[in-house]
Amino acid sequence: MRWSVYILAVLLAVAFDSSLGAVLEVSGAQPRLLPCVVVFALLAAPRGIAVRAAMLAGLVADLLSPAVRADGTQLVVIGPWVLGFALGSLAVVPLRSLLYRRNAIAGGFATLVFCMLAAVAFVMVWVLRILLTRDDSPAWWPGSGAGEVWIQTKSAMASAVLALPALWLLEKTRVAWGFSSAKKLVPGAARETA
Amino acid sequence: MNVTRILQFLSSRLSGRRLDWLLACVALILGLLPARALAPWTSDLSRVVAVPIVPMMHMGMVVRDRVRPARDVFDPRAPEVVSLEMAAERFRSLYEQARLRSEALEREAAELKGVRARLGPNGAELSTATVVGIDPTRRDGTVRINAGARNGIRADAAVIARGDVLVGIVSSDIGELFAEVIPVSRRSVSVRLYPDDPADANRNPADYPGTVLKPVEGGRWVGDIASNADLREGQIARIDDPRFGAAALGMRVGRVRRVMMNDQVPLARKVEVEPLVDLASERTVVVATEPQGTPR
Repeated sequence: MRWSVYILAVLLAVAFDSSLGAVLEVSGAQPRLLPCVVVFALLAAPRGIAVRAAMLAGLVADLLSPAVRADGTQLVVIGPWVLGFALGSLAVVPLRSLLYRRNAIAGGFATLVFCMLAAVAFVMVWVLRILLTRDDSPAWWPGSGAGEVWIQTKSAMASAVLALPALWLLEKTRVAWGFSSAKKLVPGAARETA
Repeated sequence: MNVTRILQFLSSRLSGRRLDWLLACVALILGLLPARALAPWTSDLSRVVAVPIVPMMHMGMVVRDRVRPARDVFDPRAPEVVSLEMAAERFRSLYEQARLRSEALEREAAELKGVRARLGPNGAELSTATVVGIDPTRRDGTVRINAGARNGIRADAAVIARGDVLVGIVSSDIGELFAEVIPVSRRSVSVRLYPDDPADANRNPADYPGTVLKPVEGGRWVGDIASNADLREGQIARIDDPRFGAAALGMRVGRVRRVMMNDQVPLARKVEVEPLVDLASERTVVVATEPQGTPR
């Protein structure tokens, strides 16, 4: 996988989510393009770098979603989305063997699973942070963490719908991503017979 | 040289799963660090990452504003806003009107139910009426109600308020659609004086002192009681007068205001009773007309 293409796609997706994505909001559920890009990469990237790629996208998401503190200043917390995306990728990577990777519907399902697990981890890290530090609060405070999970679930469903056209489009750019399709050939009895 | 060796050692040790776990641990530690440890550098890092994204975000915002433009500024003096507010006020008034009407009907229904429950299914015919006129001189205190002969109302029918308070008697002046009501306070009535708290059911009604109340100035009654029965202020006067019909028997009419000694008859006492309800101040009443031919 070409990291430069991946990073560019992640930045484009974050820019889309931060601006044009609001147009697609329905009943408070805003779909996000970033998980679609990450899932596309996870479904095709080598297993060894999949989690790291997801964590990188989570890092960008964390850096661009600051929390507003009580005194009006902003605080960028690195970690919640990094761990959330890592957990999501740990679920999606084993799914690759069960899904037809180039099918958009399979990609949409993988996006839903990825987003929901990422949301759960995101809320867990923030709750743990509130309990330990008590000096700042996330954007959803004073609402409950369960309420935030529900909002993120709605967003996950919207992202899954968005993933259908997004993954189809990304599939068209597969060549540029440089995913390796070569398999290691091992000599064996069958090969010798052939 | 040593640094290179350390890096080589680390790169050989930290690869694959180990590196993932290490990165996850670092992320967890960073996520749990207090704000004072994060604020000095994460905001700067965020700004650096945002540099390549900002132009793309700007373009996205321009497209977004085209696709979904911002709403116009709200003008409270715009004609359509004023007309909407007026319509809202009109409907609010209609709503309140309906609510008040519903409340009046509920009160009326409750009164009818109360009287009906007391009289039983074979009792008098009940009809509600609204007080539509008051005697302007206030001399006799008669009132006019909007129910008359067409509603089946006849002379001497009992007029009841608040469930079981006899407030008047229908006079013989009955029109087709209205009737005059004479306040019970203008009539002599035979009553028994019951304690203010619920009466003892086992006690004989004859044990409660009875008297004939005669109207005096100020819309009150005065009655003489010759017995040595217990008399107290606040006792309730209940109708014990067959002239008012079976429907009115036992109804409340007044409350003992004063108990006085009788100067002419040393062993007797006088009670002054005031009506429980002023007929002229009532809005709706229930008229209990007994079937024709009922003995009085």
